[in-house]
Amino acid sequence: MFNYLELLWQFISTDFKLRYKNSYLGLVWIVLKPLAMFSVIYVIWSNIFKQPPDYKMGLLLGIIMMNLFSEAVMMGMDSLMTKAGIILKIKFPREVVVYSGVTIALFDFLFNMVVFAIFCIFTPVNVTVLGFLLFLLAILSIFVLTLGLSLFSSIIFIKLRDIHNLVEVFLQLIFWATPVYYTLEMLPERMQQIIKFNPLTLIVTYARKGLIAGDGVRAEDFLQLGVVFLICCVVLLLGNMFFRSRVSKIAEYF
Amino acid sequence: MEPKKPIIQLKNIKKSFFLPHEKHNTFVEFASNPMRLFKRSGEQYQVLKDIDMEIYPGEFVGIMGRNGSGKSTLLKIMAGIYEPTSGKVIVNGKMVPFLELGVGFNPELSGRENVYLNGVILGMKKSALKDKYKEIVEFAELEKFMDAPLKNYSSGMQVRLAFSIAIMADADVYLLDEVLAVGDVAFQEKCFNVFRKYKADGKTVILVTHSPQSVKDFCDRAVFLKDGVIQPYNSVDDVIQAYING
Repeated sequence: MFNYLELLWQFISTDFKLRYKNSYLGLVWIVLKPLAMFSVIYVIWSNIFKQPPDYKMGLLLGIIMMNLFSEAVMMGMDSLMTKAGIILKIKFPREVVVYSGVTIALFDFLFNMVVFAIFCIFTPVNVTVLGFLLFLLAILSIFVLTLGLSLFSSIIFIKLRDIHNLVEVFLQLIFWATPVYYTLEMLPERMQQIIKFNPLTLIVTYARKGLIAGDGVRAEDFLQLGVVFLICCVVLLLGNMFFRSRVSKIAEYF
Repeated sequence: MEPKKPIIQLKNIKKSFFLPHEKHNTFVEFASNPMRLFKRSGEQYQVLKDIDMEIYPGEFVGIMGRNGSGKSTLLKIMAGIYEPTSGKVIVNGKMVPFLELGVGFNPELSGRENVYLNGVILGMKKSALKDKYKEIVEFAELEKFMDAPLKNYSSGMQVRLAFSIAIMADADVYLLDEVLAVGDVAFQEKCFNVFRKYKADGKTVILVTHSPQSVKDFCDRAVFLKDGVIQPYNSVDDVIQAYING
């Protein structure tokens, strides 16, 4: 049997190390990028309107989560292509490279959560056990969703390079279509209905509720997020089927 | 004695690739004539035509043929990297393909990191690699350089390191594509010793090469591949002669 987990870990640690090799700030870049985004939006928005309470921490958490989503989508999509040299020479379970790409994004996310924790020292948040569990379910949903999407996109990317640009545009759209720098209540009723179709809306909203306003977490929050989680699982399942049916031929298309 | 079970069986292997006559894989090209999607211009180019082959445990088989005769495609099909268009491959044992040395090597990583990376990709256990690490470094004669990044190695050093890791991979079948022709004479001799050891241990080796000498020295059997068909020669000498004559 193939040393599946060791291979997965090897890919993750190697790519993680490689990304900021030869750069002076190294891993600090992982947190600098979302932090810069946060600063820009926070400074501008705080001058435009009066902020609701918890706006600052909600914004930071939202940006960190959207960062996780877009990094996972991009790295998952590129994963097969960047490993073409290995795929063409050795037979191994191909999905390992997709898993490693998405998992690296999750590692970055953990780094960013350390920054979030440091922010919490200055602006305390209200964390409860139940709230934290809700937050974990939200993160798990993003992980499962991006894994499922990557299983589609990594295969398609090999045959159709356009998808790279398409996904970049899509990621920009989804960033603005998710209540990150605004809250759902700021929008007119009709708009809210549309934005709610975006699964990230619910994921981000509940993650915020869980980690920042933990007191208010109720059983129905879990129920609603649970539905989103199930949808993410369906995406993963479909992605897995698609990947399995196509992957044996990809070596010819590189 | 009971007839031995083949370790690799190739049954009526056919492999064709799509050979386009008109390149179009972007949207603008597609939009200029959407009907292309249904009628792609090109042909199926048959690289391998009906390959039937059985390889038995302990055999050392040489595959010879001119460039483009399908040798590497055949090896990739045995290794499971390509799927045959039709036919069946049955492998009864652990196989390690060396289609290239140093698969996954990264120039930015140190020699040590690359040993683990390449070793795990070749299917070795990390614990086993740790045990054999010293042996690998000694065999490669690179004791002093293991913490330097691979990009600072000479190409000879890189190949030596790659080969030293490769020979630690434990398998029943080894697929080798032109990996003999590396390093200086002294290192080549070391490699040949490894092949002799494989042979003594009863390992199965399939070797794709352009060197008649190594086929003569090591192979019990050789096949000559021409235009995707195995030519009917029986002895190693006949195959070498056919190869030299083209």
